[in-house]
Amino acid sequence: MNTPKRPISFKRYTGHYRRRYLLPAGFLLASFLLMILPLEGWVASVKAVLAYVFIPQVRASHSTVQYAQGVSQTVQELLRAHQENDQLKQQIQATQLLSAQAQEILAENQRLTGLLKLDVSHPWKGVWAKVAYREPTQWNSVVLDKGSADGIKPRSAVIAMQEGQEGLAGVVVEVTENTSKVLLVQDEDFSAAVQLGRGGETGLLVGDGPRPVQIKYVPLLSNVQKGDPVYTSSASSVFPAGILVGQVHAVRKPDSFQTALTVEVNPQVPSSAVREVFVILEN
Amino acid sequence: MNIVDAIKLFFLFIVATVFHWAFASLFAHWGISVNTLLVFVAAFCALLKLPVAYSAAFLGGLFLDFFGTKLFGNNAFTFTVCACVICNLAPRFDFDELFPQMVAVFGLTWLAGICNALLVYLFASASAWPGFWSLLGGAFVDCLCAPLVFWLVRRVMGSSLLIRQV
Repeated sequence: MNTPKRPISFKRYTGHYRRRYLLPAGFLLASFLLMILPLEGWVASVKAVLAYVFIPQVRASHSTVQYAQGVSQTVQELLRAHQENDQLKQQIQATQLLSAQAQEILAENQRLTGLLKLDVSHPWKGVWAKVAYREPTQWNSVVLDKGSADGIKPRSAVIAMQEGQEGLAGVVVEVTENTSKVLLVQDEDFSAAVQLGRGGETGLLVGDGPRPVQIKYVPLLSNVQKGDPVYTSSASSVFPAGILVGQVHAVRKPDSFQTALTVEVNPQVPSSAVREVFVILEN
Repeated sequence: MNIVDAIKLFFLFIVATVFHWAFASLFAHWGISVNTLLVFVAAFCALLKLPVAYSAAFLGGLFLDFFGTKLFGNNAFTFTVCACVICNLAPRFDFDELFPQMVAVFGLTWLAGICNALLVYLFASASAWPGFWSLLGGAFVDCLCAPLVFWLVRRVMGSSLLIRQV
């Protein structure tokens, strides 16, 4: 015998409707509003509130990852230690020989440095920081593991080492107590006044996403060649002059109506190579 | 929702962010765009009741938006869209099996990557496309993580009242 179907009550139906459609629609509308509103003002306040919620979590995540990396490194080091021990014993004997020669070279170097009055110290004061986080969809910005507590301020220049040579990596755009966000050179929003190393022409460097960065407004008759080094210009209010930015990759053929050249530059420090950076605090 | 369930959810959210941070930092060295938080969101949406699932997805998105520089809300939007997809698929698929978990997460990674890139392009006129191979690698890693994450969420939530009865 068939039992008659019990009709769904109005209250139950509206509850189901609310969960199934209204809730996601509400969240979609909220996120849409967040996207269309300007990043300053109201959205900045939301971000500030979220900072109180998320920063402890970020710090906990970062510390856990660092701890895990430390454990993994310790185990690996132990495994390698025995193997390296034998190699080191042999190397010690060779090193003792070299040491005697090195002492002599060091003394000579100090003598020559004194004669030439060379200042080998770093010209900028700053702080070394590690890339703590690289958000998967934001390849051109990174979060560093140091922030205002270490003296980092917004608009601080950031440099990094690549193949033994320092190069411009980006600029600090947001700072919290223990983290800071860096906009990298390849980002479309990045710009810096630069100078070509050979001819001395100046221009405006702008990022272009995954493509080589560009220098705009280079005088039309400039003699720019592939491989020319590019440095930050003293005209920049953010970056100290003389930081290597990259090498000229190509010079775009100007159209007849153009009054300036556009030069493509391969950055010295590509976004993917940014691992440890030096944040310049005092120029 | 009782206090124990709330603590469990909070614990899972912390674990999700730790895993996300660790995997994103690790795989970024090889240029792979891993999104472990999305895997957790998929697990929440497949296993938990709708209000909790949607809220977790929105909150997870906001967490990622917190790190963005160009646009705010794009990840929250993307994650909510992904939550809608999984919540509607959950009654039709058996998410206790490995294969549906992995296929769903693989698909979601692509959906999230494309949706996010489109939103950033439309609203910020910038590029957030990580690249085909990066996304493919990320989707592959995400779908390998999926069984572990689904197991963890089910294990932690246990017989909680928040578990969805399909």
